[in-house]
Amino acid sequence: MNTIVEELQRRRDQSLLGGGEARIETQHKKGKLTARERLLLLLDPDSFTEFDALKQHRCQDFGMAGQQFPGDGVITGYGDINGRLVFVFSQDFTVFGGSLSETHAEKICKIMDKAMEMGAPVIGLNDSGGARIQEGVASLGGYADIFLRNVEASGVIPQLSIIMGPCAGGAVYSPAITDFIGMVSDTSYMFVTGPDVVKTVTHEEVTAEELGGASTHSTRSGVCDITFENDIEAMRQTRRLFDFLPLNNLDSPPSYPCDDPITRHESSLNTLIPLSETQPYSMRELIEKVVDHRDFFEIQPDFAANILIGFGRMEGKTVGVVANNPAVLAGVLDIDSSRKAARFIRFCDCFNIPVITFVDVPGFMPGTQQERGGIIKHGAKLLYAYAEATVPKLTLITRKAYGGAYDVMSSKHLKADINLAWPTAEIAVMGAKGAVEILNRREIANADDPIAEAGKLEASYRQRFANPFIAAERGYIDDVISPATTREVLCKSLRMLANKSVKKPFKKHGNIPL
Amino acid sequence: MLKKILVANRGEIACRVMETCQKMGISTVAIYSDADSLAKHVKMADEAYNVGPAPTAESYLRIDRILEVVKKSGADGVHPGYGFLSENAEFSRRLAEAGVAFIGPGEKAVAAMGDKITSKKLAADAGVNTVPGYDGIITDAEQAATIAAEIGYPVMVKATAGGGGKGMRVVFDAEGIAEGFRAASSEALSGFGDDRVFIEKFIVEPRHIEVQILADKQGNTLYLNERECSLQRRHQKVIEEAPSSFLTPEVRKAMGEQAVKLAQVVDYHSAGTVEFIVDAERNFYFLEMNTRLQVEHPVTEMTTGIDLVEQMIRIAASESLTMTQADVAINGWSIEARVYAEDPARGFLPSIGRLTDYREPTGEGIRVDSGTYEGGEVSIYYDPMIAKLIVWGKDREQARQRMMEALDSFDIRGVTTNLVFLNALVSHAAFASGDISTGFIGDEFPDGFVGDAGNQDQKEIFAAVAGYLRAEERLRAGNVHASDADSPWKILKRVGSGN
Repeated sequence: MNTIVEELQRRRDQSLLGGGEARIETQHKKGKLTARERLLLLLDPDSFTEFDALKQHRCQDFGMAGQQFPGDGVITGYGDINGRLVFVFSQDFTVFGGSLSETHAEKICKIMDKAMEMGAPVIGLNDSGGARIQEGVASLGGYADIFLRNVEASGVIPQLSIIMGPCAGGAVYSPAITDFIGMVSDTSYMFVTGPDVVKTVTHEEVTAEELGGASTHSTRSGVCDITFENDIEAMRQTRRLFDFLPLNNLDSPPSYPCDDPITRHESSLNTLIPLSETQPYSMRELIEKVVDHRDFFEIQPDFAANILIGFGRMEGKTVGVVANNPAVLAGVLDIDSSRKAARFIRFCDCFNIPVITFVDVPGFMPGTQQERGGIIKHGAKLLYAYAEATVPKLTLITRKAYGGAYDVMSSKHLKADINLAWPTAEIAVMGAKGAVEILNRREIANADDPIAEAGKLEASYRQRFANPFIAAERGYIDDVISPATTREVLCKSLRMLANKSVKKPFKKHGNIPL
Repeated sequence: MLKKILVANRGEIACRVMETCQKMGISTVAIYSDADSLAKHVKMADEAYNVGPAPTAESYLRIDRILEVVKKSGADGVHPGYGFLSENAEFSRRLAEAGVAFIGPGEKAVAAMGDKITSKKLAADAGVNTVPGYDGIITDAEQAATIAAEIGYPVMVKATAGGGGKGMRVVFDAEGIAEGFRAASSEALSGFGDDRVFIEKFIVEPRHIEVQILADKQGNTLYLNERECSLQRRHQKVIEEAPSSFLTPEVRKAMGEQAVKLAQVVDYHSAGTVEFIVDAERNFYFLEMNTRLQVEHPVTEMTTGIDLVEQMIRIAASESLTMTQADVAINGWSIEARVYAEDPARGFLPSIGRLTDYREPTGEGIRVDSGTYEGGEVSIYYDPMIAKLIVWGKDREQARQRMMEALDSFDIRGVTTNLVFLNALVSHAAFASGDISTGFIGDEFPDGFVGDAGNQDQKEIFAAVAGYLRAEERLRAGNVHASDADSPWKILKRVGSGN
């Protein structure tokens, strides 16, 4: 008996030490924490319970039989974040470079299956060199087993992926399916094929960082949702994000203690919209002054910055915020911003998170690049996402709501529940200049002074249409509110909408224009 | 008494003047440029009129448009504030022609004091101490060298039309005189369109101390004691206080009496300021007279209890002063700090933009004169002063402590401010001991301002605050509620109506 206990202790000790002290030191030298250190920071103290610490690979080839590390390169289990259950896996780069074996995959699948039974989120901490080559097709099978579970869990439980080291090849498709991907600056990268293969195939010279580092994915590809400075920040921010999310799709978003009164009137919002209609302003300021405690968790801040998305809370309950950002490209809708917002809205809809939309949009981005890139279908994704969503939808038009973009941005016609406007709102088919050029082409051409005539006509168009009244007269806008009272009006609307329930026709799933 | 006053200014001074008007039951008229249509002074006024586009030359300096507004609104008095048209003789003359009271001194005083050479002559004739120097215009570098040698180095070459530090050169020896003359006159030409310069003795380590005077049209002239404005950055006042920690009662009296004499020479009425420089032996010399309300007037108000704007209005309405020199006392101590939208760490570069957050400090002895509000704009078109923070204490040390606390609790975001710089000045040991001169800022911050790391006490305070915030955050996060005890997840899944 004693020998068994001793052996158990030996195996446990080995499991706790991962790939050994030398490799841990290497990990630290790279500015990275170990798989276990990360979990310590991610989960509440003493809440982590581990599964399969003793699991070992079964590979006999390439001399693998003699190399055993209990746990096999991934730590799995469950724990709490601020007292709420979460399942986790954390890949251990010190063991076979965190490579994914058949057994490594089985461990991940086990906690995913458990998470699906319990209705609890999964957070994966990725730090893996890729497939365990020695295991060949068994390793590939392992990946696909995980992919399948990612897909089945999609829309049922929130899934978060934090990339804290390499994540290359087929491995990228698990995070890609999950709801949010976070990446640590400088120490993580993601790509389907690495720099060596790229060089062979396309003759491009590129570093791993340029090809798939956090900066690339957070600014250019949009693959990365949140960028972290380092591992510690990554774990703290992941906890913060987790606190916004419900545990599963039947759950309500968590309720956070809130002592921020709904009657907090922000008179400074009355002057947020500049006097000149072409001058930008800070949409983030509006969002921060409306949500509880100015706590806004922005997603993809550096990608398609012409639209802002993120989580906030109203009276302690999570809301998703979508806002055109007039400070970037005048807030225009283009391919990237449509995709960015559409996916976010669908996440919110999956998990019962009401969506608040702040609108200041001049229209869709014109140009060959956009048309050839398929703006038609990408723009349609946003339209689809808004129309399909059954969660409470609130819309506030701060300034421009022009043309088709007005329709798309959570308009009344797409069944938004409450549509509001500030007195500065201009809801029209297009801006005065463009409208006059089309409507009054002849008058302008025939005028003695065409420029003066155009100016006069623009002024009269503006007078007539550049206001919220025509839309309000038709009921497309439920009310025109004082900017200072925005928080109060939105909170009251959300209270009213708390039990919103709508029947949708039976279908397997819709066919969003992917 | 006047019934309706137009304030021909913007920002904090416009608001400051209107406050007194409101207190006196006088209606107010604001003027504003396109950029200021939502400004605080516009909201405060009973009536407001647009006088043109944002640039001052097209709005706040347009005498014709302002006169139109005077006519339209039926105002019977105009207060010019400081800057803009406050010392413009044409403006006061045209108001007089229109039969409207100009709330300021008469044309004669403005004209006489507007020219540095004339004012210095007048002062010398009136028995006011003046800086040794040559009153005439210097025509060339050679003449400059001769005169400088007579006076004795160091000397200052100064533009007659100068102000704000432009067109001034200090020369320490005969070698530098030609270059100093050339630089001052060319700067004067480009700055003021007038290249006339004169030379006077340069006072080493001088203090800038000025005397507030108040005179009615009946010939009563009082001095309301001094303000010390030695803390200057590039000749711009940064911190002012009243009284001065340097003056003795005898010197104070002598300065006050000379200031009164000078005012009487030019038939001065209204509020005015006679500026002196004072050397280390408390010799004082006349510098110039400002024929308007000064930016730093509140420190005088706080220590004398006299509302200077109210007195200016009463004087303009030909009332005579109801107090005598014996009634003017010094009660406690007052310090003013000018809060600017500028970045002290980047060479005091102006920082424009929206004040996303703006909370003024409050508390005993704290006064804030400001022309903006949360959500207001610091515009490129105007002076980037956000507010004047004025404190009063029973003595200098209490006032200083209050100032430091008030600066710390002034919450301004959206633009960068000089609050940290002001605090560094006020908390400086030399300032605490009163050992200051106009060279203080340049000497203490020769390479510009860099915030220091803070002492142990301050670090502990920061650590405590950070700890408190973290604890509060954890407390909130720790109380996050999962869904109800009976989550629909469990119920629906167990009965099989889910998927």
